[in-house]
Amino acid sequence: MSFSRQDDIRLSLGQRLLAVNWGLFLLIVAVASVGFAMLYSAAGGSYEPWAIRQMIRFAGGVVLMLTVAVVDLRVWMRYAYVLYGLSLLLLVGVEVAGTVGMGAQRWINLGIIQLQPSELTKITLILALARYFHGLSYADVGRIPRLIPPLLMIGVPMALVLRQPDLGTALLLAIGGVTICFLAGVRVWKFALAGGSILAALPVAWSYLEDYQKQRIYTFLDPERDPLGAGYHITQSKIALGSGGIFGKGFLQGTQSHLNFLPEMQTDFIFTMYAEEFGLFGGLALLGLYFLILAYGYFIALRCRSQFGRLLGLGIVTTFFLFVFINVAMVMGLVPVVGVPLPLISYGGTSMLTLMIGFGLLMSVSIFRDVQIPVTAARLF
Amino acid sequence: MSMALNTSSGPAFPRHVKITGEGKRLVDEGRGRLVLIAMVFAAAFSVLAVRLIYLTLFPAGGEPSIARSVIKSGAGVASTARAAIRDRNGVLLAVSLPTASLFAKPYMVGDAEGLADRILRILPRLDRERLVRKLSSGRRFVWIRRSLTPEQHQALNALGEPALDFKIEERRIYPQGRLAAHLVGYTDVDGRGIAGIEAQFNDVLARPGDAGRDIVLSLDARIQHALRDELSRAMAIFRAKGAAGVVLDVRSGEFLALVSLPDFDPNRAGDFSADARFNRATLGVFELGSVFKAFTAAMALDYGVVGVNGGYDATRPLKISRFSIRDEHGKGRWLSVPEIVIYSSNIGAAKMALDVGGDRQRQFLDRFGLTKKLKVELPEIGRPLLPRRWGMTETATIAFGHGISVSPAQLAAAFARVVNGGFDLKPTLLRRKADTDARGERLISARTADLMRRILRKVVTNGTAGFADAPGYRVGGKTGTADKAGRGGYNREAIISTFAGAFPMDDPRYVVLAMLDEPRGIPETNNLAQAGWTAAPVVGRVITRIAPLLGVAPKPADDPRVFRALKLKVKTKEKKLETF
Repeated sequence: MSFSRQDDIRLSLGQRLLAVNWGLFLLIVAVASVGFAMLYSAAGGSYEPWAIRQMIRFAGGVVLMLTVAVVDLRVWMRYAYVLYGLSLLLLVGVEVAGTVGMGAQRWINLGIIQLQPSELTKITLILALARYFHGLSYADVGRIPRLIPPLLMIGVPMALVLRQPDLGTALLLAIGGVTICFLAGVRVWKFALAGGSILAALPVAWSYLEDYQKQRIYTFLDPERDPLGAGYHITQSKIALGSGGIFGKGFLQGTQSHLNFLPEMQTDFIFTMYAEEFGLFGGLALLGLYFLILAYGYFIALRCRSQFGRLLGLGIVTTFFLFVFINVAMVMGLVPVVGVPLPLISYGGTSMLTLMIGFGLLMSVSIFRDVQIPVTAARLF
Repeated sequence: MSMALNTSSGPAFPRHVKITGEGKRLVDEGRGRLVLIAMVFAAAFSVLAVRLIYLTLFPAGGEPSIARSVIKSGAGVASTARAAIRDRNGVLLAVSLPTASLFAKPYMVGDAEGLADRILRILPRLDRERLVRKLSSGRRFVWIRRSLTPEQHQALNALGEPALDFKIEERRIYPQGRLAAHLVGYTDVDGRGIAGIEAQFNDVLARPGDAGRDIVLSLDARIQHALRDELSRAMAIFRAKGAAGVVLDVRSGEFLALVSLPDFDPNRAGDFSADARFNRATLGVFELGSVFKAFTAAMALDYGVVGVNGGYDATRPLKISRFSIRDEHGKGRWLSVPEIVIYSSNIGAAKMALDVGGDRQRQFLDRFGLTKKLKVELPEIGRPLLPRRWGMTETATIAFGHGISVSPAQLAAAFARVVNGGFDLKPTLLRRKADTDARGERLISARTADLMRRILRKVVTNGTAGFADAPGYRVGGKTGTADKAGRGGYNREAIISTFAGAFPMDDPRYVVLAMLDEPRGIPETNNLAQAGWTAAPVVGRVITRIAPLLGVAPKPADDPRVFRALKLKVKTKEKKLETF
């Protein structure tokens, strides 16, 4: 970019839009288009009921992403804790509404889309942690009392999400949060200690569990115990992948999916359908696109001068990575079945919203990469 | 926390100071971490790529696939069909049939309206408007109608329309529908058994082979129907949440009927709730209440801690630690052992059990199969719930069936061991050879068994279960009404009413058990829902219906042999004897 950037620089809206990382934007549009095509195919060659709605959502998402992108990074930092607090309130809200007797309600209806606070928390947690570590010197990061707030920041939403119960999201929150702590410079021996003590505590915790709780964990670890559910999906998914071969059966020609052998093909198992129709090369190409997005995000984060922007960018990249990896690994039978959608491709409004806000923040990091933010700005007092 | 943060970190300092010494090490370490994360990303994607290559180049062999099984049955290989399940008389309960399903390839359809009319001539029940819409959708695949009859299949084929095609599927059909749904179970879309006998014997049923490998159950469809019919009626009358019932041959150990309500249609099991698919008879465990007094009395008599003429003072509630055991409709006097069973005295049963002692009680229930999972050919078997600590209180409450939860089928099996002369019994769901005597070792003495038979008959003639009587068939048994344990204690409104009965009591052949889950009283029962009013009549009616099928002849009450076999002198006061 041709602007010279200083701490106090004020960019006009036009300048900001020009500075948006349009390469990343194109990559996102490309992946989303693959999604439209697959949803068109999943409906047997029809825009109804999925493809058309996904397009409308994506269009809304793009507007949201650009809006988020042009907001000054310092504004995002100023409101990081507020946003985090709000998302916690929403989480508690659904928890309360759920127990009061409205049924298990994890959703908040915003008219055109429904919002799952646990999804939003994935983003706000990253914001809050990035701000917290921005305010610490390296020496501070080494002090154990300073690690209590981030642990609470990760632990509280995790506990709330676990109560829903949604083990998958809780794990995503934990891994995302811990990664930020790691990147912020928390000493390695502390991770080793925490990991070790969790491992050591497992057998003790296990003995306190009731039989039925143990059964649930077994089923989680080994879905093949549940032949009607998860095990069936995985078996059919592997068959579909195998039947695609190197070049695939061609667009709209996937039999496993079109003859309804493959359930949930428009959501969690959409990658399988894609690989059946476009084969090994199509699959690798899509993985390549995802990897390019990751690489873009990674270098955007590296290039940023503020610790806040760096951690925010890396946190978002990590979350995105986890989505892609867990989903694709799941449909290929590498990890147990957890309900994680394939970013930008799976049908669904909530994850689309989370991702587009995330990409918006990433672009904001990119636009305001040279802005220097004093450490004191991150502190509460 | 934040105050400390403020003071300890000192004045604000810029992040970009001279990078030397310690600072340089930090920067290097930070870089290392960034590189590590990047490497993790790259490695993870490599794993995904390799796995994708592996899966696409080496397709999953050996794993079950619908596609493959469809091709097989499409080729018409009849011998691969899953074997049938039949009842003891050969009635088909589950059978596999190849059926054709019609689908269209709309993108090949020229004249959608014309084709629709031709199809409608063969399948008149289809909705014309929808059919035309489907055919003109231009899609590649759309189902028109699943499971055609052979005539329809032939007629549609004769249309010679290239845009229509058939898929031959093997369909599992349950001709008796709900009749024995929980017992027979059902299969998944792959035709693999996932519940009931279908799951238990999946390998046997799926093994290719000749005819004659059908699974033949001990079940009798006629008896199953009678039991299910009576239970459904009672469930409706008493607005109960659920019900379970068992008919068991006490000599051969064969279950002749096993009912759980609400039930479901296994032809479309997926449409039903988990509650409907839940097998209350074998998987559900419940506190079944006073039925256990039969075991308590048998135990006390067999260990010899009290004689048949002995008894206990039941005038005052029995206090054990902070609990107080009372009788529902106490006689407020001394009760002999038969009276404790006949009038269902909690105090008396508890005192008997305390005299026997917790350890011996546990051993006794163990012998009767009430402390472990029932061993029978079903995957859905509930594990009994036993107290963690078997102390005085537990010994006393278990004496009248509280603090121990067992499944109805398990209780029926234990009850059979009391009335079959006191012998162990291996229950089964598979047909045994006619007149098999599957009774094992002796569990209680012949004298105790003989006394119990007479006492249980008295429960019906003189005690709490008058409505269980089926004139001429000499019914005996024991009622049980248990408050359901709920949040924070027992709920007096929600009860489980059970009657474990047997007939004919002069020479018991069959156990008939009925259980109602949360029945509610009606005006005709004085708004009572106790077992004597709800579960006992079910057993009486069932026996009236099934005894002729089972070849049990009715006998008049004054038949001298019957009279002798059932006579029992019951002491009602500590000294005086009275004959019922």
